Amino acid sequence: MSQSVLHPGLDLRRKRSWRSTKSLLMSVLMGLSVVAVLIPLIAVMYAVISRGAGVMFASFPEFFTAEIPMISRKAGPGMGPAIVGTLLATGGATLIAVPLGILGAVYLHEYGGTTKFASIVRFMTTVMTGVPSIVMGLFIYLTWTMKFGYSAFGGALALACLMLPVVISSTEQMLRLVPTNLREASYALGASKSRTIVSVVLPAALPGIVSGSLLAIARAAGETAPLLFAVGAATAYNPHLFTEANTALSLQIFSNATSSFVAAQERAWGAALTLMTLTFMLTVIARIFTARFALKR
Amino acid sequence: MIDLRGKSAHADRAFRWVAVGAAALVLLVLGLIAVVMTDKARPVLAEMGLDFFTSTRWSAPDVLYGALPFIWGTLYTAAIALAIAVPVSLGVALFVTQIAPRWLKKPLVYMIDLVAVVPSVVFGLWGVLVLSQHFGLGRSFLTAGIILAVMITPIITSLAREVIETTPASEKEAALALGATRWEMIGATVLPHSKGGLVGAVMLGLGRALGETIAAALVIGSALGQITTNPFAPGNSMPAVIANEWGEADDMHKSALIALAVTLFIITIVVNLIATSIVQRSMRRSRGKV
Amino acid sequence: MNKLLVIGTFSALSLVAACGSKKEGGGAGGGTADTSAGGGPVTLNASGATFQQGAQEVTIEAFTKANPKIKVNYGAGGSGKGRQDFADQVVDFACSDAPYKDTDLGKVKGGDFYYFPNVLGAITVSYNLDGVDKLSLSAEVIAKIFQRDIKKWNDPAIAADNAGGTLPDADIVVAHRSDGSGTTENFTRYLDKAATGVWKLKAGSTVEWPSDTQAGNGNSGVAQIVKSTKGAIGYVDLSDAKASGLKYASIKNQAGKFTDPTAESVSAAGDGIEVDDKLLFSALNAKGDASYPITAQSWCMLYAKSKDPAKTAALKAYFKYMLTDGQKLLPEIDFAPLPKSLQDKAVAQLDKVQ
Repeated sequence: MSQSVLHPGLDLRRKRSWRSTKSLLMSVLMGLSVVAVLIPLIAVMYAVISRGAGVMFASFPEFFTAEIPMISRKAGPGMGPAIVGTLLATGGATLIAVPLGILGAVYLHEYGGTTKFASIVRFMTTVMTGVPSIVMGLFIYLTWTMKFGYSAFGGALALACLMLPVVISSTEQMLRLVPTNLREASYALGASKSRTIVSVVLPAALPGIVSGSLLAIARAAGETAPLLFAVGAATAYNPHLFTEANTALSLQIFSNATSSFVAAQERAWGAALTLMTLTFMLTVIARIFTARFALKR
Repeated sequence: MIDLRGKSAHADRAFRWVAVGAAALVLLVLGLIAVVMTDKARPVLAEMGLDFFTSTRWSAPDVLYGALPFIWGTLYTAAIALAIAVPVSLGVALFVTQIAPRWLKKPLVYMIDLVAVVPSVVFGLWGVLVLSQHFGLGRSFLTAGIILAVMITPIITSLAREVIETTPASEKEAALALGATRWEMIGATVLPHSKGGLVGAVMLGLGRALGETIAAALVIGSALGQITTNPFAPGNSMPAVIANEWGEADDMHKSALIALAVTLFIITIVVNLIATSIVQRSMRRSRGKV
Repeated sequence: MNKLLVIGTFSALSLVAACGSKKEGGGAGGGTADTSAGGGPVTLNASGATFQQGAQEVTIEAFTKANPKIKVNYGAGGSGKGRQDFADQVVDFACSDAPYKDTDLGKVKGGDFYYFPNVLGAITVSYNLDGVDKLSLSAEVIAKIFQRDIKKWNDPAIAADNAGGTLPDADIVVAHRSDGSGTTENFTRYLDKAATGVWKLKAGSTVEWPSDTQAGNGNSGVAQIVKSTKGAIGYVDLSDAKASGLKYASIKNQAGKFTDPTAESVSAAGDGIEVDDKLLFSALNAKGDASYPITAQSWCMLYAKSKDPAKTAALKAYFKYMLTDGQKLLPEIDFAPLPKSLQDKAVAQLDKVQ
């Protein structure tokens, strides 16, 4: 395709005043679209903070520690078990997906390179990124929950499936930034390939890997659909990863959002504030890692 | 420190195989998803045949599963979302790359990326308790489309930004030097240069909108069998139907919902594949050019 | 074998995760993982009807206060989900507003089981209409509204039931359940019985609603639509309708009297029921001047035999409570207790569970 400056759309013969007015108009429209993006963000944040903080601080710190009221129409805290459930499912998913994702990326970049198998895996990783989260949820229900029952671990598996391709892609990008001469220096010192990867390449890429993984974790912590069929609906604390029904902040928001009880809706806002704080914190930490320590392109 | 020198050959090979295994896991999981899901979808497809995709009656008690209204709802809400999100994303991407002063650029990008981190269930909560109630939208295709638009805007924006930034400065400066206004410069250099990448970015946004479950399930209205272009009508989408009906479904009903998931899976995968290849090709081309 | 190994590895990890989360935990769940050991904490998982969710919640709260070592989780996903989960043995017990269909009995994988009736309650026809605080409806009119034959509030058929009142010229928005629901089943069965010839959508836990109607998840989801949508009408259990602040109609009963849904009118409907030896019955469209006609019943189901003695003991304790002391809590949340004779039969049946 030709990218000539003499584009047919560029007609410099028109009157200058009209042309600059049009340019100004379009600039204003662009500015307005920024406003259009920020309005919902601000509106959501305002709603979540104003409604959530009220509930949260009306009973502080019980909101974070008390069990979820069995009687959903009753006012009062808390979201303790949901916080634990979210941490369990997300933590479990992290323990599964991050090491495997890093290893997969190590294979792709350090071993596979441009081989056919590596290309297929890379391609399929992209495909996997696009799998809708509800499909992952169903898949885990069919392969895990039907045999082993509800547990936070089922949720962790589904979240891990979502995180895995994200961690692989972001880690591979980071490995690409590690200069080749670092590897060569290590080989020159007599280190084996695995030793070089473990003690030279990965540490060099670590901040970027951490940052990418944190973003994946933040996304996973906010997911609902993968947990829907695997985790169950507990209202009491369940600190066990593998046994018994659990719950999660996102699940609590989902079920309380459809409730007609003011008290339940308020708890949904409180849970939403908790969840958003959690994901934003992870994002901010990831940003700090990127800004402070990461290798620059 | 462990001294690996003695066993380094073994350790090396072991490490390599572990890495290969981790990479192969992607293929394994995707393969399993395809096999398990298609297998469980078979009963309903055997029962309904092609009617599953073309019939408009979805009635579990009568063992009738026509998914067309939900396929319609999925595509229609995604279309509404794109109609809103595409111009806005493009505007934002152009503003950030072409207009915004340097000091404003970074905070703006951070803010927009923040939208992508808001959990979809929180958007759903806001949609069902604030947007649909206080703005008279009710639960409808339109409400779902708006929420989806908000959710996919950061995705399209960030990709569009990357693509647009690859426009060679020389071309832009040439246009300006000829006396083009800023908008004419954009129209003559930036847009034609990034066309392919922008289409890819939009397709990726589309992929996301098609698969989004929870926010849609909360605001779309869960109507049965509604094929209409009236955006204010309540409707339903494939992922929302799965989320809402799975719990109570008997075996055939479950099979029908899995068949919906397979349909959704195939549609989103195809959309994403096209998107990825477009984005990669255009990125490669523009990088090669500079 | 491999699976065990994987589980073993991950449970070690889970310990780490559990320790990490302890600071939020407060330790209410008890320390060790072994729930089956005698005297240790036991968790009972249940799912089912949202119709009796309120009743379960109140019962569980009171019961666990007296028996702190037993935890009960009731996931209100609908009667259909309850029956499905119970059949698949995913839960320890399940509650449903309707028994299994004969054709579905083969799917119940855990062997013999019993139905324990545990609650009676009204299904209201709730509405959202400014300026109309009293609405009377007959079965025929309800049927026509829900199948969209009547689309305006000032339709002459509605006016005929409401002599003297004025009804606005507003569109009717019909709200129903999106999930498989015993409430739907009882509501449609009532219409099938009481509006014979008029009601065309048949009866069932899900029916083929007209396409321009809205659906909500659970009774509470329907209540939310009614509450937030002008001109809306929907069927919601009395307990949820009252707690959500909805207005609901008086319904014409078999004796031709318009009755409000209350714990008393529900009890009146319960007085005349005929129970079979499986403890199955229907309280719908009951005779009697004071009976509320859309009175529904609900059961909880328990397998005759289970493998885990600690769980069985806990299950029996919970059911015993639910069928005796728990019954007294029901009127507070606008449900009605079972007639005494039925309570006794249910308690006696509990002895057969091992």
